[in-house]
Amino acid sequence: MSEKYKFDTMSLHSGHVPDKETGSRAVPIYQTTSYVFKDTDEAAALYNMEIGGHLYTRISNPTIATLEQRLASLDGGVSCVACSSGMAAMHLVVTAICSSGDHIVASNKMYGANINLLQHTMTRFGIETAFVNPNNLEEIEKAIMPNTKLVFGEVIGNPGLNVMNVPEVAKICKKKNVPLAIDATFNTPYLMKPISYGANIVIHSLTKWIGGHGIAIGGAIINGGNFDWGNKEKFPTISGSHFALNGISFWEEFGPSALTAKIRAEGMYNFGPSLSPNNAFYILQGIETLSLRMKKHIENTKMILEFLKENEAVSWLRHPDLHDHPDHKIAKKILPLGSGSIIVFGIKGGRDAGKAFIENVKLSSHLANVGDAKTLLIHPGSTTHSHLSSEAMKMSGLTDDMIRLSVGLEDIEDIKIDFEKGFKAAAKISSKRS
Amino acid sequence: MYTDFKGNKVYFSTGGINLVNDKETLCFVHGAGQNHYSFTQQIRYFVSQGYNVVAPDFPGHGFSEGNQTTSIEEDMLWLSELLAFLKIEKATFIGHSQGCLTILELAEKKPELVRGLVFVAGAMSIPVNDFLIDTSIDNPEKAYDLMVTWGQDNYGSFSISDWPGHNHLAEGNAVMKMNDSSVLTTDLKSCNLYDNGKQAASKIKINCLAVLAKFDMMTPLKKGLQMVENIKQCDYKILECGHFLPIEKPKELNALIKNYLNTLK
Ligand SMILES: Cc1ncc(COP(=O)(O)O)c(C=O)c1O
Repeated sequence: MSEKYKFDTMSLHSGHVPDKETGSRAVPIYQTTSYVFKDTDEAAALYNMEIGGHLYTRISNPTIATLEQRLASLDGGVSCVACSSGMAAMHLVVTAICSSGDHIVASNKMYGANINLLQHTMTRFGIETAFVNPNNLEEIEKAIMPNTKLVFGEVIGNPGLNVMNVPEVAKICKKKNVPLAIDATFNTPYLMKPISYGANIVIHSLTKWIGGHGIAIGGAIINGGNFDWGNKEKFPTISGSHFALNGISFWEEFGPSALTAKIRAEGMYNFGPSLSPNNAFYILQGIETLSLRMKKHIENTKMILEFLKENEAVSWLRHPDLHDHPDHKIAKKILPLGSGSIIVFGIKGGRDAGKAFIENVKLSSHLANVGDAKTLLIHPGSTTHSHLSSEAMKMSGLTDDMIRLSVGLEDIEDIKIDFEKGFKAAAKISSKRS
Repeated sequence: MYTDFKGNKVYFSTGGINLVNDKETLCFVHGAGQNHYSFTQQIRYFVSQGYNVVAPDFPGHGFSEGNQTTSIEEDMLWLSELLAFLKIEKATFIGHSQGCLTILELAEKKPELVRGLVFVAGAMSIPVNDFLIDTSIDNPEKAYDLMVTWGQDNYGSFSISDWPGHNHLAEGNAVMKMNDSSVLTTDLKSCNLYDNGKQAASKIKINCLAVLAKFDMMTPLKKGLQMVENIKQCDYKILECGHFLPIEKPKELNALIKNYLNTLK
């Protein structure tokens, strides 16, 4: 991968130099919907995507472009499109590649909305998905059909924390000539760059660690530029004639960046899930400290794991860096700096004990997000999945005593004290039961 | 567009449209280890400006198959034969890097084909150091890395670009990886061997344009200026960028070519 500068330098500088006119050191927020054309020639050239530039913020914007160029350089991709959310990114990828009658192979251990989109929404539009165990290479290979146009998974699954063997899955995809798209939200390019392991497309929810402060929803698609879209029968809307730019072929005109060009010309243009320039700015501020934050997230995660391991109130503990995690070996290989800062654990006493724990911690926030600088907790059994029976929860890989913890950047001693309060309350419930 | 030429599948980009007989033709000639994607932001722009555009992938490059040409003289012959095959009698040639050597040679040997000449980040000779040639043999991907990192100035290295969301370093690398892995070595050797540039330049009678890069580490500005001096009538412009000028400064380059084309009318 061609890089002149190292990760920390790129996370501060990629995509921006001081503004030529004002000298502004920070990335300016171009809070505008549109851009005055120099002349009709330029207007036509921009509409046709003959040259780079901006015409309307739904399609591109200078502040957002800085974010995109920074993300592309950090992940080693050829180009990037940022959009309004992680889910928008996922939808853009699926609809750029697949049409009615096509087939997707996806991990069965993914973020709920990722699964829902494929299982319930895309099927209405004639795109079927085979859900497979992301760690069963044989199953993945067998599931790939002649009409399979995409293989999809998460590096670290949410919330199960399984780790996908990205390099091996990438080999299968290459052999079968199917692009591999990876949701890398839980690892960020600081911990692992899927493209360097052979993945073709990276998706991020920027809402999480990349933005890092719980202040802006955003998403991004990074194109590895390493997939051959040249098979016109298989990928007719990428390598065949396309209406968006007067019947040209994205593959012939844009080559490695064909997919991103298509996403911009069709997805951003016709669906319109654009990011706001202000949110792009907030997310850029987050990226400036990505590696510092990730280091501390990982450091705190290690200490909290030790603390939870020893704690009597904890019935089980799961994190890929623990030796007893089924994917520990692959995690060590592809995530050598650490496997992220999400921990899941069980509370003795089941659903009610979990509820008591959550209600009695004060510093840690009870909410539906991950990857904030602050420590976050959720107890699916009393929130997102409260309508499900214990058995039904088990079917979706969850248990009613399960807590998902997103380790923040606080002083870890304060978090421990906070947790002790929660554990005490949970223990009362658990002892009443026994 | 694909065609069967000399028994091989050959690709030349026309910006996605059919060539039209009565239009003037611009022929974009790519450099060492490159292909038509060097000119992504020129090809469709000039089609819209009303020109026929032909940007071939030389054999083994991009989508073209066949044995690679192994000298600048062979490059020139292959190109002139391809144009004859496409029934193009005259064109303005825009060469980048090694492509400049090819069109210098063409200007001397086939002047009847040449309406105009634009040299982009070029010189009369392009000596290549042994280290790069050896690296391209032992580890082509390492050589691509070296070339794309040398080929961009600070702006490009920080993925700064008018083209929203593009990262030139990785993109340059991906473009080079599309070629057969032996291609770069052969191209670099062709560049290294070529010694007719000065003579060819001195014989050019038409008015030419050179667009040179201030921070060019592949064909240094000094050498570009020597070429300008050796051509009787050659306007030149220096842009603040690295060697991969068509990607780093597309708008500026397009405007300069457009002005130059107007002078030929
Ligand atoms: C792994 C993963 N992917 C995608 C998303 C969706 O991101 P967003 O909320 O930005 O749409 C999430 C959100 O929780 C997630 O955890």
